[in-house]
Amino acid sequence: MVEVKNLSKIYGLGEVEVRALDDVSFTIADGDMVCIMGKSGSGKSTLLRQLGLLDRPSQGEIVLDGEVVTRLSDTARGTLRLQHLGYVFQEYALLAELTAHENVYLPGMMLGEKGIDFRERAGELLELVGLGKRIRHYPKELSGGEQQRVAIARALINSPRIIFADEPCANLDTISSKKVMETLVSLNREMRVTVIFVSHDPDDKKYARGLLVLSDGKMVTEDAIK
Amino acid sequence: MKSLKVAVFLALKSIIRGNIGIIVLTVFMLVLVTMNLLFVPALIRGATESMNTILIQTYSGDIIIEPAGDDTVINHVDDLLDSIESIDGVVAASARNDINAYFEFEDKRIGRVVTGIDPVRDGEVFEISRSLIEGSYLDSRDRGEILLGIQIAGADQEDIELYSSSLRHVHAGDKVVVTYSTGFEKQYTVKGIFDTGFIQTDSQAFVTQLEFNSVMPNMNNKATSIRVKLEDGADPERVIQRIASLRDGLDFQTWEQTAGLVQSMTESFTLINQILNVVNYLVAGITVFIVTYVDVINRRRQIGIQRAIGIKSQSIAISYLIRAVFYAIVGLIIGILVFKYVIIPVEARHPFEFPFGPAYLLTQPSYTARMAFILLVVSLAAAFIPVWRVMRIKILDAIWG
Repeated sequence: MVEVKNLSKIYGLGEVEVRALDDVSFTIADGDMVCIMGKSGSGKSTLLRQLGLLDRPSQGEIVLDGEVVTRLSDTARGTLRLQHLGYVFQEYALLAELTAHENVYLPGMMLGEKGIDFRERAGELLELVGLGKRIRHYPKELSGGEQQRVAIARALINSPRIIFADEPCANLDTISSKKVMETLVSLNREMRVTVIFVSHDPDDKKYARGLLVLSDGKMVTEDAIK
Repeated sequence: MKSLKVAVFLALKSIIRGNIGIIVLTVFMLVLVTMNLLFVPALIRGATESMNTILIQTYSGDIIIEPAGDDTVINHVDDLLDSIESIDGVVAASARNDINAYFEFEDKRIGRVVTGIDPVRDGEVFEISRSLIEGSYLDSRDRGEILLGIQIAGADQEDIELYSSSLRHVHAGDKVVVTYSTGFEKQYTVKGIFDTGFIQTDSQAFVTQLEFNSVMPNMNNKATSIRVKLEDGADPERVIQRIASLRDGLDFQTWEQTAGLVQSMTESFTLINQILNVVNYLVAGITVFIVTYVDVINRRRQIGIQRAIGIKSQSIAISYLIRAVFYAIVGLIIGILVFKYVIIPVEARHPFEFPFGPAYLLTQPSYTARMAFILLVVSLAAAFIPVWRVMRIKILDAIWG
């Protein structure tokens, strides 16, 4: 379960304070699939980065499965990210010098759990996202949609409890977008992974069961869609 | 262990799949630095070795024995020479008698020292006979012949150091007049002229002991010094102790103690070498620093992504340090191999010519090992600074700037 309590993120631009997030509170249940929407600059990506432990909020708390993670050290947050969270960036964010297969199993190497062959698992995950025949390809040899699916496979290597996806289809064509979103839906339904994704496309609401709408850093809607 | 495994993985992938041009250029720079770090000390060592060899073989021998205290001569020298030559580790010993004299040829008159020697014994201690450029070496029974160094004879070689203060035009077969400090004057035929390349040796003149005794009858069976040649590896101090036990009133010097000029040159060379080494290590460090810095800046986003997906900062930092060590090790290996199998053989065919003769590049394994270690440490330190700075940047700043 993800609990967000009175979360604020304030940036200082000289003497001016910008409240990217302003007293946001909500709860997301395990296995949910939630879409965060809002206009450009509404704070949706900022919220996802706080949830994904890539940034620290200025105020408020984030509680993951009963643990207040906002007070953890950078090292502990890094470990938590590695062990329990998956993050999919808007711009694919693959490592150019690694093949699709290597990109996927790299976090697994760092995790290094006994009894798990992360190379084999990476191959299976690439099969799962429909890229079983592209495992030896480098990112530059893959289309945008394929790269994003590699990024999703990478986010799954540690069997995460939650996947955060920051506008995963922003740079993709319609067909690729559909494939990526269907992959996320499939993971949510079949593997019971909680998926929290950011989108500016109103159509993407159809993939989610919950909706958070932000405006000027404030949460204006928290709905169960279905 | 997991961190190290990931670091090695990242380093290997980036070396294998990184920009080959940058890797080759960096390694090339470190090869040049390595060769530079090897070259100057090897040249100094080679030059010093050549100087020492020529000093021992033509001027001092391994041990110089002189009368101690107020005595000016060593008495009963024939018996002493036999006793010295019977000591283990001694190859030969030669008695020498020096006397000041003036040399005249045509309108030129110069003051030098004439040394009386037994040509056979002296030839066993020194290798002057191998450096003859004109004429022949002395025979034990020669009386009216003299052997001149090139710096006395001149021999029309205007490029020698002391040509202007030499007799300038003397050649083998010419006759020179020698006036000893006792006032005795005699005309000698120049039997040979030698050029060892060592200026102190080449400023000497030799006559046979037989001739010297006729000039200085009171010096029979006496010597102003004895020069001793030792076997390779013989301990000079042990031999000196043995000789000292034979007779009192002797003063001993090893060849190193007479090599003041050589030592001061060596010390100056060593100081120059140390300055050059510091510059070379700085060049190596700056090269690795710039390459790592540019690399880290270019990969800032990638580093941010690596951290975002859970790769520990220490793994990323170690991967860069491994790359720096890789550059340094490859540079060292290629540099050392090129130096050993290309530079040294080529220089051996075309050695650097110094006034004292050719100098060959001589490497010292202990120096090479120390140099390699320092270069590795410098490379590591130089790579660490930019990596450490980037690791302190927040993940979001690294990814999105």
